[in-house]
Amino acid sequence: MTEHHHCTCTSYADRARQETVAVEENVQVARDTYRVRFACEQIAEGIVPGQFVMMRLAGVNDPLLGRPLAMYNVVPDENGRPQQLEIVYRVVGKMTRRLSVLEPGALLEVWGPLGNGFPPTETEHLVMVAGGIGQTPLLSLAKEYLHRQTYGSPPRQVRQAKKVTLCYGTGGGEYLACVEDFQRAGVEVRISTDDGSAGHRGLVTELIRPVVESSDHPCRIVCCGPEPMMAATAQLAGKLGLHCQVSLERSMACGLGICFSCVAKIRDESGRWDYRRTCVEGPVFEAEDVEFQQHFSQLKQRPKV
Amino acid sequence: MNPTETPHPVRLDVQLGRLRLANPIAVASGTFGYAREMAGLVDLARLGAILPKTITQEPRPGNPPPRTVETACGMLNSIGLDNDGIEAFIAEKLPYLASLAPATIVSIAGRTQDEFTRMAARMDAVPGVDALELNVSCPNVTGGVDFGTDPDSCRRVVAGVRDACSLPVLAKLTPNVTNVVAIAQAAEQGGADALSLVNTCLGMAVDWRRRRPILGNVLGGLSGPAIKPIAIRIVYQVAAAVDIPLMGIGGIANINDVMEFLVAGATAVQIGTANFYNPTVSVKILDALPDALARLGATCVADVVGTITKQ
Ligand SMILES: Cc1cc2nc3c(=O)[nH]c(=O)nc-3n(C[C@H](O)[C@H](O)[C@H](O)COP(=O)(O)OP(=O)(O)OC[C@H]3O[C@@H](n4cnc5c(N)ncnc54)[C@H](O)[C@@H]3O)c2cc1C
Ligand SMILES: Cc1cc2nc3c(=O)[nH]c(=O)nc-3n(C[C@H](O)[C@H](O)[C@H](O)COP(=O)(O)O)c2cc1C
Ligand code: FES
Repeated sequence: MTEHHHCTCTSYADRARQETVAVEENVQVARDTYRVRFACEQIAEGIVPGQFVMMRLAGVNDPLLGRPLAMYNVVPDENGRPQQLEIVYRVVGKMTRRLSVLEPGALLEVWGPLGNGFPPTETEHLVMVAGGIGQTPLLSLAKEYLHRQTYGSPPRQVRQAKKVTLCYGTGGGEYLACVEDFQRAGVEVRISTDDGSAGHRGLVTELIRPVVESSDHPCRIVCCGPEPMMAATAQLAGKLGLHCQVSLERSMACGLGICFSCVAKIRDESGRWDYRRTCVEGPVFEAEDVEFQQHFSQLKQRPKV
Repeated sequence: MNPTETPHPVRLDVQLGRLRLANPIAVASGTFGYAREMAGLVDLARLGAILPKTITQEPRPGNPPPRTVETACGMLNSIGLDNDGIEAFIAEKLPYLASLAPATIVSIAGRTQDEFTRMAARMDAVPGVDALELNVSCPNVTGGVDFGTDPDSCRRVVAGVRDACSLPVLAKLTPNVTNVVAIAQAAEQGGADALSLVNTCLGMAVDWRRRRPILGNVLGGLSGPAIKPIAIRIVYQVAAAVDIPLMGIGGIANINDVMEFLVAGATAVQIGTANFYNPTVSVKILDALPDALARLGATCVADVVGTITKQ
């Protein structure tokens, strides 16, 4: 079995920096899905897979609050030093709609790196499960485990995995974003869609068991996506006896641990739950510690993934 | 750079009753955690005062999520005084706050007059507390807000705390009353050193498609730029009716907002929601403050406080 990391310790965004940055590129990569790139060395230098930044449109009061967006990729300069950040986002509301029409040169306020990120855990076969836009924190994680790129300063050392698989489910093929990036990084990609327009017709969780059962190596699962899908993955991981970490999505106002908006129910060793701030104590939690929101889909209307 | 060492011949220190602050820029309760969270982004030593999140006698888990929702130029919150209780605060949070240069103004909320008094006495007995702010105005819990809506209970709770401790006392009032002046006068009679104006405006957001309130706790407190005109109006009205100094709170996001509050009658200000969406806002404001005061020909903050005149 892989070692067990509890990531519910109190942490602070001590390495966070706030920067005003200019959009360098903002392109559509799938239906309703875009990738934005901007230079911000200070944040790019320190950020690790699973961490995020808060982003807002500079100079406007509506939308007012920053939005949490996962680090998709760090782009180095010609000397190999971390320089730019890439974010991949789905247009779902006020801020992302306005972001999607920004031209190069437009200004954004960003602060980060935020959150705990995925802890480096020795893994032979990393099975990554993504629903909808939930693939975004996973590319960098895969690159780190496959020794294609390092993250953080000093660069984080992760024992090389023998294999990384991405199980990626969306509503339809037109929503599949950046699959080539994963393939180029050496990730085996398996796809499911609700309508069968690409890959397996059905739920992404149905892809997990075959991957695990046919693997030559001990597997570990990381998962990000809609809450019911993460709950199902966590349950399956439990049944298969596999270690599983999830990256939770909660609505956030600060990303820094100062507003207490973003709480999730997290169980301690004795099994009692307490509200924990997802922005500083998460977003990555041990799946077995999370009390998933039963009616999440009713709390928040999300476009079909 | 320490603001008192700027080349401007402007003094930034202010007096709030028995409480002296190095400068008039404070951060509001519930919008700055326990300060430690912001140490990486903000040079905490520069702030005039820090107000940690309101504490209660017993630990409170807070309200169910969603706890905040953005609204036009503002946000609603129903955090519900999520905190670990007064003893955990003293043991785990206060030592850090006490080690910092800014004044630590501890915000307390009691369910009863007696609980307010007991909490005040407890805070008086530990080192590192510079003043108390009585949160008689939280819209997200029952009990607290009653002290802020009835002049008599407000006067009694302030007087009780004054008797129970030697610390300077600020009363933080709610805007959700018909006549805030009467409450402010009652707090003054009770012996408050200063008043903090204002807490959030009670509000609500609806998801019409599901015919449901959006917040887990149904109602919430509105904050941010959307409430600035309400807060300034209250500072202006109260300044004309009481003799104690005021701290202005509500929608402050830049130096112009600060100057508006000072001119309208506030001696100092607290920055709230802006810390969330512009984490370094407080130091940016401090950078700009001496120049802004100098533009009005002031040599100290008091020179501009309440200098507003009608046409
Ligand atoms: C740690 C973390 C990392 C994240 N990383 C990414 C990422 O990499 N890429 C990405 O695309 N997203 C990511 N998200 C999600 C992202 O933060 C949200 O999609 C974003 O905040 C939406 O902002 P918005 O202003 O566009 O939407 P908002 O207008 O704020 O709407 C937010 C949500 O509410 C719904 N909604 C809006 N109005 C209503 C209404 N009237 N009634 C009911 N529902 C409504 C919308 O459909 C949407 O789902 C992440 C979230 C977290 C917590
Ligand atoms: C998320 C949040 C939590 C808050 N928590 C508290 C609190 O615990 N105690 C308190 O006295 N005020 C609390 N407030 C109110 C603020 O201190 C401030 O009075 C109010 O938000 C108005 O100022 P602003 O518009 O600058 O935010 C809170 C406000 C917000 C937005
Ligand atoms: S988003 Fe503010 S505490 Fe987590």
